[in-house]
Amino acid sequence: MRKLILFSSIIIAALALAACGASDADAPAKAVENYLTALVEKDGDRLPTLVCGDWEADALIELDSFQAVTARLDNLACSQTGTDGETALILCTGNIIATYNGEDQALDLSGRTFQVTQEGGEWLVCGTR
Amino acid sequence: MGLIQIGASILTALLVGALTRGTWRTYALLALSVLAVYWFQPVAPLRSFDFWLPSLSLAFVILTWFITAQIDTWKSRPNLIGLSIIVGLATIADLLRYILPDPFLTASTPPQFIQYIVFVLLVATVIVALTYLSGKNAWILSLATILLLSILIILKSPTLSLQTSIFFRTLANRPIENASPLDLRWLGFSYIAFRLIHVLRDKQLGRLPELTLPEFATYVVFFPSLSAGPIDRVERFAGDLKKDFALTQDETLLAGQRIILGLFKKFVVADALALIALNDTLATQVHATGWMWIHLYAYAFQIYFDFSGYTDIAIGIARLVGIKLPENFSAPYTKSNLTQFWNSWHITLTQWIRAYFFNPFNRWIRGYKNIPSWTMILIGQLATMLLIGLWHGITLNFILWGAWHGLGLFLQNRWSDFAKTRFNINNLRLQSALQLGGVLLTFHFVALGWVFFALSEPMLSLQVFLRLFSL
Repeated sequence: MRKLILFSSIIIAALALAACGASDADAPAKAVENYLTALVEKDGDRLPTLVCGDWEADALIELDSFQAVTARLDNLACSQTGTDGETALILCTGNIIATYNGEDQALDLSGRTFQVTQEGGEWLVCGTR
Repeated sequence: MGLIQIGASILTALLVGALTRGTWRTYALLALSVLAVYWFQPVAPLRSFDFWLPSLSLAFVILTWFITAQIDTWKSRPNLIGLSIIVGLATIADLLRYILPDPFLTASTPPQFIQYIVFVLLVATVIVALTYLSGKNAWILSLATILLLSILIILKSPTLSLQTSIFFRTLANRPIENASPLDLRWLGFSYIAFRLIHVLRDKQLGRLPELTLPEFATYVVFFPSLSAGPIDRVERFAGDLKKDFALTQDETLLAGQRIILGLFKKFVVADALALIALNDTLATQVHATGWMWIHLYAYAFQIYFDFSGYTDIAIGIARLVGIKLPENFSAPYTKSNLTQFWNSWHITLTQWIRAYFFNPFNRWIRGYKNIPSWTMILIGQLATMLLIGLWHGITLNFILWGAWHGLGLFLQNRWSDFAKTRFNINNLRLQSALQLGGVLLTFHFVALGWVFFALSEPMLSLQVFLRLFSL
């Protein structure tokens, strides 16, 4: 039993160490990918957890615009292109494919830059430009 | 629970039932149940609440055990292992945010590790303080009960839930315009709270057996009955845990049959009936009396098959690990009077309310010798059924539903007393006809009561009543 407790403690300690050393260089881009995924899945509960307070109402309006269609992501890839003060600027490639009445419409994601800010240690989508 | 969660529960229960024995079975069930507390919790629009709410459930479990157990027993080996399992798995659930790119155990990304550590330290401080105080003050048990009831009232009241959501949104600097009572979806808390209150009350009454932390915690958050009951009794549950159990072929077959029956009831019958079951939209759109009755019958059967289906699944999965959960339903729509109906519908909730509210309330009210007995019966039945209504939600419609059944039970009680002394029916055919009439009358009384339960507004319910009787 002691061995088991020791083993469990080692696992938790290793996870904690990994946590301390974890790099979050890709975190802003990942935040945008999560946001877009929640958007096409029309996940109104998850979406507010992925955006900053100022952008929450806009995000829910954007989600509403997908309610009448079936949507999916196609070849999504996001990366950080720069910063503006404490805001990370993220550009994505790929499309949102919105299907209505059997007809696909591709919405190009490269047309807008996502602004991502850190709140309470979390990277959150906070608007576009 | 969705199909994936049910499938995973069956698989893990099979493994635990087949591979573990004795205390190892208890530890394995505790570990699975702790993981399920996090996994079953749906995503919450308030960030990380799908981690904090399950963590609070576990904190309440540990706290309740500490204040109800003998103070010096916590250092024993099983209790230390139990504590390590709960805290260790909660810690891993949080640390997974740094290891995996996407949320794995929780519905969304868990909070920062430092926030979790602060939470653990806070909980530990509260537990140490209350455990120390509980050794000298019996009121700590009442305080814990009041705390649990207060949270339950907040969660069940749309207005209070909304205000709480606004409070947390303001704290987190989120827009309060998007606040909703649904922001605080705390999976299984109604059942967890009732199990904990049962333990606290039994401790006060001096009839709580000594339990180890793993036994106690497994009882409270047992994964098959976490989301939809039944509400077992702790001494019965712990008795099953202590029994020597080996999963046999017969037991597996019986459990499998029960699970398949439950899946069929829930995912085939109930989900099909849900398409035509009475709801707010149909209540406003349907004008024909016949169709309104069809929608009402569909609702009556949908709610039965849905709930009893989940119960069958829970009982079946529990059986795979040697736990014989109590029955929650016993053909309720075939009962010939309302008392029998309530003895066979959500049985474990009714028994809980009877044990911890109805019986003490009746003993108390009987102390008033000047109140006529019929008034005592009326007050007792009404208060009990109102409480059951409020357990489902603090809204006017649930209150009306409770009052409907409270008055129904009172009238049935009066009629039984009246008929007993005046009619003596020996004719078997007449007895059968009366029995059938009783079944039909009881079913329709219950079905009409569902009008309040299914709809959100009293005016909408009144509108449906008028349609049902072509008025």
